[in-house]
Amino acid sequence: MKRSQFWLWAAALATYAFLYIPLAVVVLFSFNDSVLNAEWVGFTTRWYVKLLHDDDMLHAAANSLLIALASSSVATLLGAMAGLAMHRYRPRWLPFLVLTPVAMPEILLGVSLLLFFRQVLDLSLGLFSILAAHITFSIGFVAVIVRARLAGMDESTFEAARNLGATPWATFRRVTLPLIMPALVAGFLMAFTLSIDDFVITFFVAGVGVNTLPLQIYSMIKVAVTPEVNAISTLLMALTLTLILIASRIAPDVLKGRA
Amino acid sequence: MALVLTALLLLASLPLRAADTLYLYNWNNYISEDTVRRFEAHCRCRLKQDYYSDNEEMLAKLEAGAVGYDILVPTGNAVESLVRRKALREIDKARLPHFGNVKREFLDIWFDPGNRYSVPYATSVSLLGYNADKMRELGLPTDTWALIFEPKHLKKIKGRVTVLNSQRELMAAAMKYLGYSVQEHEPARWEEAKQLILRAKPYWAAFSNSTYIKDLAIGTVWVAHGYSNDMFRAQQDAAAAKRPFQIGFATPKEGAVLAVDNFVLHQSGRRPDLAHQFIDFMLAGENAADVSNLIGAGNTNAAATPHILPEIAANPGIFPPPDELQRLEMLRDFDPKLRRTLSRMWTEIKVR
Amino acid sequence: MSAARTQPAGLSKWVVTLPPTIFLLVFFLVPALIVALAGFRETGEFGGLAPWPGLSLDAYRFLLGDVIYLEIFARSFLVAALTTLLCIVFAYPLAWLIARSPKQRRDVLVLLVILPFASNFLVRIYAWIMLLGPANLLYTPFAVIVGMVYAHLPFMVLPLYINLEKHDPALLEAAQDLGANAWTRFWRVTFPLSLPGIFSGSALVFIPVLGMFAVPELLGGTGDILIGNLIKEQFLENRDWPLGSALSIMLTACVLLLAGLAAWAAKRGLHGTEAVS
Repeated sequence: MKRSQFWLWAAALATYAFLYIPLAVVVLFSFNDSVLNAEWVGFTTRWYVKLLHDDDMLHAAANSLLIALASSSVATLLGAMAGLAMHRYRPRWLPFLVLTPVAMPEILLGVSLLLFFRQVLDLSLGLFSILAAHITFSIGFVAVIVRARLAGMDESTFEAARNLGATPWATFRRVTLPLIMPALVAGFLMAFTLSIDDFVITFFVAGVGVNTLPLQIYSMIKVAVTPEVNAISTLLMALTLTLILIASRIAPDVLKGRA
Repeated sequence: MALVLTALLLLASLPLRAADTLYLYNWNNYISEDTVRRFEAHCRCRLKQDYYSDNEEMLAKLEAGAVGYDILVPTGNAVESLVRRKALREIDKARLPHFGNVKREFLDIWFDPGNRYSVPYATSVSLLGYNADKMRELGLPTDTWALIFEPKHLKKIKGRVTVLNSQRELMAAAMKYLGYSVQEHEPARWEEAKQLILRAKPYWAAFSNSTYIKDLAIGTVWVAHGYSNDMFRAQQDAAAAKRPFQIGFATPKEGAVLAVDNFVLHQSGRRPDLAHQFIDFMLAGENAADVSNLIGAGNTNAAATPHILPEIAANPGIFPPPDELQRLEMLRDFDPKLRRTLSRMWTEIKVR
Repeated sequence: MSAARTQPAGLSKWVVTLPPTIFLLVFFLVPALIVALAGFRETGEFGGLAPWPGLSLDAYRFLLGDVIYLEIFARSFLVAALTTLLCIVFAYPLAWLIARSPKQRRDVLVLLVILPFASNFLVRIYAWIMLLGPANLLYTPFAVIVGMVYAHLPFMVLPLYINLEKHDPALLEAAQDLGANAWTRFWRVTFPLSLPGIFSGSALVFIPVLGMFAVPELLGGTGDILIGNLIKEQFLENRDWPLGSALSIMLTACVLLLAGLAAWAAKRGLHGTEAVS
């Protein structure tokens, strides 16, 4: 037991290391005193100072965060519904409908949404079009994870609750919701990162003058990856961490409350 | 609750569409912040830019129906395509007092006879950038495409070469080396270019459209096929980082691809008045010089010359001398059938 | 009374089924059908689509009549399979550990998995360029796999964790009491129970890898072309929308077919494991 425990820890730590080594490079080189940013030259905070005066970049970052928060909230809601529906009612068309957006190459998704918004709905592009697009490609991820949570669950729990006269809503609140809560948290986080990282689809559906961080960074990177790009990435991570920690303080039973 | 909150925040962050805003769909870093500010003061309006990093990205987005851009900055072949699709608004030259500043050799080109729709702004050449010290050490020629196509040279620099990840650009370079036009229509000649590329490919490290700037500057790549302004950037970066070598770039003697970027007015723009004002502003010498000083692009504006840093103005890779200009050719769009044939060849190049 | 009970049950079915269905019908299926149709149209002279009518099977005929496209499909599925496998291997211990740690610590550990992905995709790829470059591993198939695994690892860890977290530790203790050693306990109890987690994680890794083009483009060498790159080329270089659309539809069809097969196989497999649980 002890030995297998040790190897388990070692393997898990190795995976964490794999996840964090490139990140360490990102953070470290945001303090690098070199435009070329190929090797360590010296410590500086000037990129952060520059960033604070870069309105385009800050505005793009704010847009990205807001879009990510809003789209992942809605995607979590709709995805959870889809996951529940697939598990309980097994409509044949739903898995197809939920999985295809995940399977569709993102360029095609981007072009199709742009065509649809402009030439079918005649909508002017803006934050709304980005939101709708991000929700569309995130729903599948949430639904899959919620269904994985419910898979193999004993239906008798739900039935018992119902037989005790609980309304469907009460059954959901007391039994189903606590059960799928970890999946909702994980699904939300996945949707959040999908949204905040998306370049291809956003490129197509973004309206005039609406910029997100990946769009901004992509257009800069073609010219050169200055440490400023590293700095904004570092800040974004710090901000995400703070937001989530605050959220978990404000609503401890939302994040932590499970049966 | 959280939803309502985010919805509110979103509404608050919606950009207020100011009445006096000019929307520019542009290459990144093509106009300096300083010039943007001066223009905003000049027109008492706002200038907002969205960016693309490739003509095709911009064309695909417009093709699918994106609207609202006043000005685009497409390269010649993209101008032709936009004109043919009736996506552009005619330019009223009476509103461009500075139009006469444009160098004559860049006017009245095939993509827009009579410049009804476009005003040239900047140029770049697809050429070879190289680590000058290494080339000298290995005794390699730097003024010919043979450097990236001939195995006898390549075997000295195996794995240290990158070429553009672009079917049009790379195949055009091969065509130039073979002595053909880049606007050739005969598939058999393109087939020859494909064979040439396949023979050289084992010696190349990667197809790269952007990473080569850094790879050259830090010294991991010795020869790169790329754009003159990117090579200029690599050269500057290497010098700034006090690298023990210098980056050089030169147009191969067989000729190369020239790109001319132009201001055009998109049909969907709401403010043609501001757009004309902007183009005329950018035609003034000191503003036109911007793009050369900023990123080392070639300039199509005669009045800009005195404002361009001398080391840039004197660089033949950036400003091709007249005899060299003769050997440069612009890419031109092909018909769908040839496009598909070339794409098939390109796929084969990638797979083999 | 019984009537009152069945009615809300019917109602709740529609309450959970309709919103996501309607949303996806409007924002996914309709737009997708529009571009799927593009695969049967002709290319416009300057890109985009030729004016109506102009329907043809050219794009599909072109693709199906040429083994080179089949080869790229095969290659892409291989890369996707390898990436998925490596993700399972890397993710499993981590997911297991998170699931077994004290409740109040789990969320933090999950957050730690996802946090790097709140930075920026391109920035992380460039960090890998800096790490792989000096080791002479850049521009190789190895670099492509590293990038792919890195980009998709959380999508394996999270579903696995979500699944493992609900397992009853009493089961393992019971097995231990019966004298099963650690390996047997894992192989006979934990692993079969975690199969739904592995399946959903695999779906979320395997499928997106197929359409990915940035990783091979930035980390790969001269031979690393995947189906995602080919599709991108049709839209963003070659202006051949019918071909791009046909490629995408073929890819999506292959994926759905595979997913259907996997679901079918899983159903049969799970019948076997149900006896265990």
